[in-house]
Amino acid sequence: MDESELLPIRNFLAEIAPFNELPAELLEECSRSVSIGYYSKVSGSVPLSSENPMLYIVRSGAFEVRNAEGELLDRLGAGDYFGFPSLMSGESISNKVLILEDGLVYHLTLSLFEKLRAGCRAFDRFFNRAYAKRLRHQKASHNVALMTANRISSLMVMAPVSVDHKTPVCDAAKLMRKHRVSSALVIDNQKLVGILTDRDLRNRVLAEGLNGNVPVYQAMTSAPVTIDANALVFEAMLQMSQHNIHHLPVLENGQPVGMVTSTDIIRSQSSQPIFLIGEIERQQDVASLIHVSKQIPLLLQNLIGADARAEEIGRILTSVTDALTRRLIQLNQALLGEPPLAFCWLAFGSQGRQDQMACSDQDNGLLLAKEPDAAATAYFDALTHAVCSGLNDCGYVFCPGDIMAQNPAWRMSLENWQQKFSGWVNTPEPKALMHASIFFDMRCVFGPESLFTALQNQVLATTCDNDIFLAALAGNALSESPPLGFFRQFVLERDGSEEKGIDLKHRGSVLINDIARVYALSAGINEVNTAKRIRVLIAQGILTRKDGLNLADALEFIAHMRLANQGRQYENREALSNYLRPQALSSLMRHQLRDAFKVVHDAQAALKLKFMRSF
Amino acid sequence: MSPWQQLSLAWRARGAAPLLREYYQSLHPLLQRPLSDVSLVAVDMEMTGLEPQQNQIISVGLVPLIQQRLQLATAEHQLVGISGSVGQSAVIHGIVDRHLQAQTLAQQHLLSWLLQRVMGKLMIFHHAPLDLAFLSALVPKAPGSALRFPVVDTLQIERRRLLRERHILPQGCLRLGACRQRYHLPVYAAHNALMDAIACGELFLAQTASIDPHVAVAEFLWWP
Repeated sequence: MDESELLPIRNFLAEIAPFNELPAELLEECSRSVSIGYYSKVSGSVPLSSENPMLYIVRSGAFEVRNAEGELLDRLGAGDYFGFPSLMSGESISNKVLILEDGLVYHLTLSLFEKLRAGCRAFDRFFNRAYAKRLRHQKASHNVALMTANRISSLMVMAPVSVDHKTPVCDAAKLMRKHRVSSALVIDNQKLVGILTDRDLRNRVLAEGLNGNVPVYQAMTSAPVTIDANALVFEAMLQMSQHNIHHLPVLENGQPVGMVTSTDIIRSQSSQPIFLIGEIERQQDVASLIHVSKQIPLLLQNLIGADARAEEIGRILTSVTDALTRRLIQLNQALLGEPPLAFCWLAFGSQGRQDQMACSDQDNGLLLAKEPDAAATAYFDALTHAVCSGLNDCGYVFCPGDIMAQNPAWRMSLENWQQKFSGWVNTPEPKALMHASIFFDMRCVFGPESLFTALQNQVLATTCDNDIFLAALAGNALSESPPLGFFRQFVLERDGSEEKGIDLKHRGSVLINDIARVYALSAGINEVNTAKRIRVLIAQGILTRKDGLNLADALEFIAHMRLANQGRQYENREALSNYLRPQALSSLMRHQLRDAFKVVHDAQAALKLKFMRSF
Repeated sequence: MSPWQQLSLAWRARGAAPLLREYYQSLHPLLQRPLSDVSLVAVDMEMTGLEPQQNQIISVGLVPLIQQRLQLATAEHQLVGISGSVGQSAVIHGIVDRHLQAQTLAQQHLLSWLLQRVMGKLMIFHHAPLDLAFLSALVPKAPGSALRFPVVDTLQIERRRLLRERHILPQGCLRLGACRQRYHLPVYAAHNALMDAIACGELFLAQTASIDPHVAVAEFLWWP
């Protein structure tokens, strides 16, 4: 066949990653070797055969990958793949692929898939990453450790500076200066034979009184320690400390493909959450704490880049805020002396729910064990002002509604707090309900847990099965609706003449938080994180498993879109916002986002039915 | 397969040349089998015009459909030598006279070339009568004596399906592209016999995707 005949198929493959990286002849072989199938919604799922694993390339339609427990792992549209995990692991297939919309699928055989992986590094890397990502989603409780389990290939310098072994050292040094690197690979006959570093030039050339004409092989460190591109960052750190070296050539199939230095590793680790929290705890004054907090936007960026789940990103960012808050309290206590009585630092709103994202403001309060005297009042006034302005300097701006511990109104004894909450519950006026959405999501960040529990238990006792309060709260939760119009088109927010896009926060995440809060307060559940609330609601049978999982999926998806959108805004140096332009979405994403909003819509209807029936 | 169909197949094969008779006989065991168990081949041809007696076939595309999947690895595209020029038809199929000089098959060998490749397999066409008329014109000795083996015609399947929903079919709604659109199949920009054979095969997959695969293949056949 001549190559023009299958042009539509080849052109399709040539546009999707990683097929776009294939050399022309392999791409041509692919388009000549696929087999084509069509899967109908009527049949439910794609029959996957463990004996004959294939790479499935979605040409049209929409599919959903779920694990054996029925949990959603991925949604797929044109240009996406499935079937690769078993191709790569050789293990039998446990996931199911459900058909959402009829679609055409191209199949690629195992032998060709392996040929492509062997023949094209970018192709191989793409599927290695996709596989790792799928595995990650597979494991219900993957955690922060994942971040330190990054592979070397993700941070090495590609196309490292290399010189032939016979090059004079002065030419090598010039090349290193030109590329501003501290080391170069030494190559003989396409093989790595050594590494030339600044230290070698100093110790083996200058200190020996040799001139620049010495060939590189006389000065280099021969047979250097190397590392495989698939090794973990952790393993590279181990190698470096064992051999007391700072440069590791990276090999792939025995060929040098890159270089990783200790600086690369330190840079990659410094914005890791564990490292950052460790740094925060080490700082001895507020000024250096503020300096460390400058890393937080980079942390967020890295987490988005690492494709962590939105729920986890929220938890990680919140734990950084918690650590900052605690350290600020400790540092200021050291200045002001021991506190006159026991107290809890309360976090409300997003910090309370552990779903902080970029540009959060602070919502906090102080819970005192008993009514303070004048001296204690002065002490806590000084402490809270110092901590709140410290947080402000660290990027958590003062709360525009003044819900802060430095405001005397939100610095109360246990008894006064209990009265305050009772007031809101018994007289659910609009202002009280507005407060409820912030204050009922509270968490203790610092101080004795028992003091906090005493407040929380009393609050839950008053809300539990309190029909009037719950109806008012549900009504408040229904005052906004997801941005779906009559024809299921997105409704866009407008700001004067300018179109702002879909408000993912106020017409998405906030609505789900509101729904989960009403249910949680009605059942006396002490969790405040929305995903955790939903899990408990499912466990207690208050939400059906299906509705609960759908709501949790919608929460995660909308939060994910918010983060991805902010990641894009950050990269483009735009101001961060919660507005998403639907034009920026692929058709599959639009489809999924509509689904997610539909779930919110249905959950609102169910909430209305359950709590507002008699009103 | 009903006895009538068996008889009909034997009747239609009578007097045919040996290779053609062999093809009729190879279809025999297929007709009673379920759809999922039968091998098929989607076929498309480009011609210099629409008149079987005056115009000629200039290319043939084939793609086997085995176990419900189109197998591109064994697909074929064959150019056919013609007497005269492709003329204005080049506008449609993109084959110009220059292409026809190399690696072409002589018109008189086309039918046996095709039969060898479809032996034991049912052929799928979109609008079979036209293709069959052109192929019939190739039968040696008795040109024009019609080929009468059963085939799958995706146009007929679509017509039947649409007529169940409405009485009058709008013009053009049975064209290959229009049919494909109803199944959300991709638009293929290029037109050659092979891509059109694939397009036709995909349409058949889509038409039968929601049907129980145990239904006998005979249900989908069109008998000329």
